[in-house]
Amino acid sequence: MLLIHCPYCEEARPEVEFVYGGEAHIARPLDPSTYSDEQWEEFLYIRSNPRGRHHERWRHTHGCGRFFNAVRDTVTDVFETTYKAGEARK
Amino acid sequence: MVEIAEIAVSAAELKLGTEPVAGASVTLSHAAPRARYSLRARDAKVLSDVIGRALPGRIGDQADGAICLGPDEWYAILPEGTAMPRGEGLPVSVTDISSRALGLVLEGPGALGVLSSGCPLDLGKMAVGRATRTVFETVEIIVWREAEDRWHVEVWRSFATWLWNAFLAAIPGAHG
Amino acid sequence: MSGFRLADGGRIDRRTKRNFTFDGKARWGYAGDSLASALLAQGQMLFGRSFKYHRPRGILGAGVEEPNALVTVDRGPGRVTPNLRAPSVALHDGLKATSQNRFPTLKTDLIAVNNVLSAFFPAGFYNKTFMWPRAAWEKVYEPIIRRLAGLGDSPTTRDPDHYDATYAHCETLVVGAGPAGIAAALEAAANGGRVILIDEQEEIGGGALSDPAQWAWLAEASAKLAAMDNVTVLPRTTAIGHYHQNFVVAAERLTDHLSLAEAEGAREKLWRIRAGEVVLAMGAIERPLVFEGNDVPGVMLASAAKTFALRYGVAVGRKLVVMAVHDSGWRDALALHKAGVNIAAIVDLRRDVASELTEAARNARIACYQGYAVTSVSGGQAVKGVTIALAGIGKGQQLDCDAVLMAGGWTPTVHLWSHAKGTLRWEERWGAYVPDKTHENLRCVGACAGDWDFGKGLSGGLLPAPKPLHESKAFVDFQNDVKARDIGLAVQEGFRSIEHIKRYTTNGMATDQGKTSNLNGLQIASGVLHRPVTEIGLTTFRPPYTPQSFGAILGHHKEALFQPLRKTVIDDWAAAQGAVYENVAQWRRARYFPQGSEDMDAAVARECRTVRSAVGVFDASTLGKIEVVGPDAAEFLNRMYTNPWKSLEPGRCRYGLLLGEHGFIIDDGVSARLAPDRFHLTTTTGGAARVLNLMEDYLQTEWSDLDVWLTSTTEQWAVIAVQGPKARRVIEPLVEGIDLSPEAFPHMSVREGMICGVDTRLFRVSFTGELGFEVNVPAQHGRMVWEAIWAEGQKHGAAAYGTETMHVLRAEKGFIIVGQDTDGTVTPDDAGLGWAVGKKKPDFVGKRSLSRPDIVAPGRKQLVGLLTDDPQAVLEEGAQIVADPNQPVPMTMIGHVTSSYHSATLGRSIAMALVAGGRDRMGETLHIPMPDKTISAKVVAPMFYDAEGSRLNG
Repeated sequence: MLLIHCPYCEEARPEVEFVYGGEAHIARPLDPSTYSDEQWEEFLYIRSNPRGRHHERWRHTHGCGRFFNAVRDTVTDVFETTYKAGEARK
Repeated sequence: MVEIAEIAVSAAELKLGTEPVAGASVTLSHAAPRARYSLRARDAKVLSDVIGRALPGRIGDQADGAICLGPDEWYAILPEGTAMPRGEGLPVSVTDISSRALGLVLEGPGALGVLSSGCPLDLGKMAVGRATRTVFETVEIIVWREAEDRWHVEVWRSFATWLWNAFLAAIPGAHG
Repeated sequence: MSGFRLADGGRIDRRTKRNFTFDGKARWGYAGDSLASALLAQGQMLFGRSFKYHRPRGILGAGVEEPNALVTVDRGPGRVTPNLRAPSVALHDGLKATSQNRFPTLKTDLIAVNNVLSAFFPAGFYNKTFMWPRAAWEKVYEPIIRRLAGLGDSPTTRDPDHYDATYAHCETLVVGAGPAGIAAALEAAANGGRVILIDEQEEIGGGALSDPAQWAWLAEASAKLAAMDNVTVLPRTTAIGHYHQNFVVAAERLTDHLSLAEAEGAREKLWRIRAGEVVLAMGAIERPLVFEGNDVPGVMLASAAKTFALRYGVAVGRKLVVMAVHDSGWRDALALHKAGVNIAAIVDLRRDVASELTEAARNARIACYQGYAVTSVSGGQAVKGVTIALAGIGKGQQLDCDAVLMAGGWTPTVHLWSHAKGTLRWEERWGAYVPDKTHENLRCVGACAGDWDFGKGLSGGLLPAPKPLHESKAFVDFQNDVKARDIGLAVQEGFRSIEHIKRYTTNGMATDQGKTSNLNGLQIASGVLHRPVTEIGLTTFRPPYTPQSFGAILGHHKEALFQPLRKTVIDDWAAAQGAVYENVAQWRRARYFPQGSEDMDAAVARECRTVRSAVGVFDASTLGKIEVVGPDAAEFLNRMYTNPWKSLEPGRCRYGLLLGEHGFIIDDGVSARLAPDRFHLTTTTGGAARVLNLMEDYLQTEWSDLDVWLTSTTEQWAVIAVQGPKARRVIEPLVEGIDLSPEAFPHMSVREGMICGVDTRLFRVSFTGELGFEVNVPAQHGRMVWEAIWAEGQKHGAAAYGTETMHVLRAEKGFIIVGQDTDGTVTPDDAGLGWAVGKKKPDFVGKRSLSRPDIVAPGRKQLVGLLTDDPQAVLEEGAQIVADPNQPVPMTMIGHVTSSYHSATLGRSIAMALVAGGRDRMGETLHIPMPDKTISAKVVAPMFYDAEGSRLNG
């Protein structure tokens, strides 16, 4: 079970309090109607799935309730950092 | 084909106890009925002014029964019947959830062990007076360390029967 | 010719006898014995039959690595545990153990004919032979193979034991309480942090238990640890696995070492330990040597013989020969000699052995054969002697003996290190992999770190032999009966990676997970391939370290506590009325309320007729509910739902349809605007948590500028639906402060007031098509209000109805149930809910997807009604639909039935279905092929009753 540092609670908490939220920094377009089918497909379905450094979202559902972002190594599962939603990509 | 006997006790037969249960070093009981509010606001000051109460600023802190659960969320456990202004039109949310949860109390030197049987937090290091939302196995709870050996646990009403019995299972000598 | 109890020595308590049975025969041993040591002391050499060839097998090791001596321990009904390793079973009074894998008895095993035929059972035999005919696999081959090759029998009755579980936290966790582990624990404890020291054996000490010179130190250290408040010592506890960030799961065996009479409380306890630092002190396991006849009972590890003699006071034979390629064999031989065990000879493949060892052996009058190898073992069910030859190929020479000790070097126990994704490094000195790097706060100490003085030796386990490899019966994996030649065959057949060789030969895949076979297998493959070991690859260790009971893993989650069963506050009332339940998500809901001898169909028909003709009462408390509050509440809902919300007046309700960004329906529900900044949302029962999470996601990450907050109120409100033409008359006497007249309180409205003296949010809504109300009251009052409504309802012929009736009534009206009539690929238009999509809204979640090419393409599956030609035929939900029933198989399926019921109101069956181009097929007859017949049905609009909606007004 991972220990995840919640940037809001400012402490490491057990994974079972969290829910994974998919890849991070995929912003919903402000006006989706301007998106072509290809752009919309990209937004909906295309993810980077890297080996190594991965920007991803977690929600501290059974804690402070906040969504936040994390950089996790998909090979080692080690979290490099976590940061609040809305902060720049790290 | 091997016939497997019926489950000895099915989940449907579990009962939520009404009387306190005492083990060797821990007692499980119900907290007194309470008023409960979910309090939300971006700005604690605005909310604080609406409800006329001070609110703790740090997640996990508690003041006068108001627990700071998240950056914009407080959970107030107040004497039964306490009313609360709603702050209509203001950027706050005051919602009465008095009926949503039940409060269980574990008290005694063995209480920490009972909670740790299913809660993954290092509760031994939790300061008296602090509180947090977390889980007991698969059930969401709010744990509030009221005193060194007294823990108040909030749980949604329909999970209370399971939680009561899961606590019993972890109290030495309390289960059959 | 066999083992016996030495006159003295060992840690057993010779004053306390323990009586037990093995294969039904009365046996005895001493307190402190293991099952293996007690049986060896009584001369038992034969412990089991091998998995594939049913060859007789004896004890190989003295610990959890034991591959051969698997036993079943019977502690009464439901307490039968197969596949326990005899050296790890503590002896207690009344222990009932039986051997496995024999038919009918251990000594006379009929299936051992497999052994005679073993030339025909090479690696991959099963894969190659039982390929054809395919049909025979299930009926003929598999049952026979299972009978022959079973490894113990599963228990057939319910386990009466209970199990504990806990989380634990410490600054330092030490796994393994041998000298290195104890030293690490003492050092960590001195710093004041919390220390947990766990060990799988009956007592702590590890290797020191087999070395009397260390017993005084051990006693002192144990006492010191026991006296420290910050140290928890857990013997009989196996670290099953290491998971992320030093999360170690361990199972403590609490009662298995006790007689049933002594056993109290939980049988096992699952420890879920989070540690700041983990110290692995798991030791090393001695490797067997691979030579002809190395599996004859009486051939065992030298270290095991030493443990039996020095820890248990048992000599494994009267005349022992040691076959060593490693100094530790000499040391063990000398220790055994000192303990009074007769070592006849030490055979070592090496010509050069340290002179202090050879001199000590000669002084002990042990014959030494340096440069020699054992080339065969005589004896069937017990060793009678060995043949040795110079370099394995010289002239054979006979040596009499009744036990052969193998000393093939040592393999560090790196299992948990590997679980933690620690890397390994080949250490030539050990002929084994040792820990290298890890990103965890984890370190190895002692033998498992490769840091222990066992002396020097050769690193390959395969001894030179006169026979070519493909003719030899030298075993590598004892439990799975893998011979050296099987590995040769695998290479010959083209397998190169050890991962493939392992799976083809099954080397290392038995319950012992290759603790004694992996390294030898690797070395042999390396030899056959003429490539260095490090290029062959390495198989991955995965949890559990040793087999675990399911009970321990379940912990408290057993039987009644398996998972929470959520009940509403009205559930007890329903139970008293004899309700039959169904589970919906974690909730149990009353499905129907049978009266007298009614079956489900009869009860549902009556309930439906009562709702349509009078009034019904339904517990809808499980509906998900969310309070949406804040100045931007309407704006937020407008963005989430497909339809417009900003124009909704306070006091009015609206049906909301929720899509994912992919454009498919994910939830729906009726919601009410209570005030300009306050909405009461409802969701499906199963979707409550998911919808709240989705909405939080948008609010927190996409539209964080909106001032609106969400609070789950699912459990705040008990919800009582009162539905039917007499619904108003039922609640009227109970309600205060709300004008219930149709003019003041129209359909799709909400009012706040009082009912039975408590606050209510009263909805005028209908999921039945009848005049209807949904009474929301704080849950603590739900039961009281329900009973008051019920009592009032009795004056009007009311019935309580359950979810089944609710389903029929809504299907008669064509209302969908998300998750039943939709499956995650259904758009609003597919479901006939295009009217609920705000065409003028610039945006809402999922809108962009509704114009994707696939979504607007013709021929999508659309929700339609189906009326069977035979009005009494009720279609099966999930049944596939075809246009032409006479087409050849496989037919083109154009859709499936989503909802189907007998409608008492209509006196016939009704169904809903998703059918390709469904709305263009109105009036068409489609066909539903079933195993016994094909049912035909006409496509109609999904609206079977009161199409004009006049009944909503009562």
